[in-house]
Amino acid sequence: MASREVVHYETPITKALRWFSVAFIIVYLIWTLLPILVMFASSFKDLLEAFKIPAVGDWAGIGVFFEFTPTLKHYNDLFANLNFSSYILNSLVAAGGSAVISVVLGSMAAYSLSRISFKGKNDLFFWIISTRMAPAVAVMVPLYSIFRSLDLVGTLPGLILAYTTFNLPFAIWILKGFFDNVPYAIEEAQMVDGATRPQALMAILPLVAPGIGAFIVLCILFAWNDFLFAAIIGSGGAKTLPVATRELVQPQNIQWGSIMAAGVVTTVPMMLLGLVIRKYLVTGLTMGAVKE
Amino acid sequence: MTDTVLSDQSIPGQSQGLFRVRQITDNVEARPVPSIATEPKLNPPASRAYFFGLMAPAIALLACISLYPFCWLIYMSLHDVEIGSAVWNNFENFTKLASDSRYLNGWWLLIQYSVMCLALQIGIGVFLAVALNGARFEKILVTTLLMPMMMAPIVAGLVWYFLYNGTFGWYHWLLQSVGILGPKSILASTGTALIGIVIVDVWQWTPLITLITLAGLKRVPQDQLEANMVDGASQVRNFFAITLPNLYPVLVIAVMLRFMDNFRFIDSVLALTGGGPGNATKILPVYLFEVSFKFFKLGRGAAIALTLLVVTIILGMILVRVFDRQQTRKA
Repeated sequence: MASREVVHYETPITKALRWFSVAFIIVYLIWTLLPILVMFASSFKDLLEAFKIPAVGDWAGIGVFFEFTPTLKHYNDLFANLNFSSYILNSLVAAGGSAVISVVLGSMAAYSLSRISFKGKNDLFFWIISTRMAPAVAVMVPLYSIFRSLDLVGTLPGLILAYTTFNLPFAIWILKGFFDNVPYAIEEAQMVDGATRPQALMAILPLVAPGIGAFIVLCILFAWNDFLFAAIIGSGGAKTLPVATRELVQPQNIQWGSIMAAGVVTTVPMMLLGLVIRKYLVTGLTMGAVKE
Repeated sequence: MTDTVLSDQSIPGQSQGLFRVRQITDNVEARPVPSIATEPKLNPPASRAYFFGLMAPAIALLACISLYPFCWLIYMSLHDVEIGSAVWNNFENFTKLASDSRYLNGWWLLIQYSVMCLALQIGIGVFLAVALNGARFEKILVTTLLMPMMMAPIVAGLVWYFLYNGTFGWYHWLLQSVGILGPKSILASTGTALIGIVIVDVWQWTPLITLITLAGLKRVPQDQLEANMVDGASQVRNFFAITLPNLYPVLVIAVMLRFMDNFRFIDSVLALTGGGPGNATKILPVYLFEVSFKFFKLGRGAAIALTLLVVTIILGMILVRVFDRQQTRKA
C-alpha cells in the first residue's frame, strides 16, 4: 500500500459523481431488498391484505403495504396440511448427502491431484470442470432415462446421485486450489519424522479444514436451491422444498400466502449459511478464479 | 555430482595455466556418497499408487454419473426414443433441427437474453462496485447485497411473478405509476416478457458481478493510480486509464461465468413464464426442457441437448484458458 496522503481535489464533476454514487447505492439497495421484504411481509399477511395495492399513481398510498395484522396461518398451513416438514427433511437429506459425498470423495481426489503430476492430467481436469459447467437440462435427459431403468427416479438416493453430478466436480476443482496452497514440505517434514502418508495427510487437514467446511456448506446451498433435478429426478417420492413450493402454483388457484411462506422457509436457512461462509463465497461462486 | 573429495579448480580471476591450485572443496554435495544411495525419486511407484488410489473413487463415481450418461446421450440422440425402446433413425433428430423454427428461435432468444442480462449486470455491477469500494459501511452493504444470490432461483421467480402480477403486483404498480407500462403485465405481452425475465436475472445476479469487481478493485495497484494523478490525471480519467484495464481479466471471468449460468439455469424462467406468452421467452434450455420432459421426446431432446452441450463445452474451454492465463500472471 502506497502512501495515503495523496490529495484528492474535489472538482464539481467528482463531487457530482460522489453524490450520484451514494444515491445509486441507496436506490439499488431498495430495489434489491424490496422483493425479499415483500416475500417476508406477504407470508405474514392475510391474502386480502397481501393483494391490497394503491391506485395507479397514488404515491401516498404506499403505506398500505405496512397496514396488516401479522398472522402465522400460512406457516401453520404449510406444516399442518401441506406436509412441508417431510419436504424439508427430503431437502436436507438430498442436499446434505450429496454435499458430504462430494466433499469427502472430492477432497481425496483434489489432494492427490494436487500432489502428483501425470500424463493427461490437464485433460482429466478439463473433463471434471466441463461436467460442472454442463447445462442442467442437457445432463438430465440421459440421466433421467438411465435412472428410470435403474428405478432411481423419485428416490432420495437418485436425487443425491443427481446432485453429485454438479457438486463433485465443483468440490474437486475448488479443493485442489486449496491443497495447492499447502506446501508439500509440511508433509515431507512429517514423513521424515516417521509419519506414514495417511498420517501426513492428517497433519495438514487442520490447515484446509475451514475451507472444506465452507465448501460443504456451498455444496448444500447449490443442491438445496436446485429445482430442475428435483422436479424431474425427484418427482414423486423425493419432493424437495423448491418443487413443493412450485407445486403450490396451480392453474386455477395460486396459493400466494403459502407460496410466500414456503419461500421464506426455503430461503432463510440459505441466507444464514451464506453469511456463515461469507469469506469463501466469492471463491466458491467463481469456481476459484477470483479470490477476495 | 562428482564423487571425488578433492578436485582441481581454477580460482576465478587468475589466469589459467600459470597457477593451478588444488583446492579442498567444503560443500556437502561433494563429500563421498555411499554407493548404495540412489537419487531420491519424487514419486516412487508405491506413492503413485497411493495417490491414484485416493483419486479413484471420485473419478469412478464421476465417470458413472457423467461420462456414461454422455455416451448414452449420444446414443439417444441418434435414436427415436420412446418409453423403453430406441429405434435408429438415421440422424433424423439432427436433420430435423435445421428446419425447427422453435429450436433456431430458442438459440436466438438465448443469445438475446444472455447479452441483455450481461450488459445490464456488468454495467450496474461495476458501477456499484466502484461506488462501494472504500465507502463507509462497505462490508455491511456488500453482505446485504448478497441476499438475492442465496435465494433459490425458483423462489425468486415466484416472488417476482407475484410482483409482476397485473392486479396486485407492486412492481407492476410501480411501472404503471411511472407510466412505462399499460395495464397489461410485463410478462403477458410478447414484446416485454423477455425484458421481464432479464430483470429478474439482473436482480439476482448483479451482486455477483459487484463482488467479483470489488475483489478486482482491491488488486488495482495504488502506486499506478497515484503516479497518474501526480501527472495531473483526474479521477475519472484515472478510472478509465488504470482501474478499468486492471479489472479487465476479472471481468472476463465474470462474463464467462454468467454466460454459462444463463445456459445452465432456467428455474426462474420456468417459474415466471414457462416459455410463454407464445414462444416469446422460450430460450433454448426451456425449449429443451419442454421437448424432453413435457412431450417426452427424449431422442429429439438428446439431439438438442448435445448441441447445447457442445457450445457450453467450447465456452468452457475458453474460460479455462482465461483461468490459466490469470494464474500464470499471478505467479
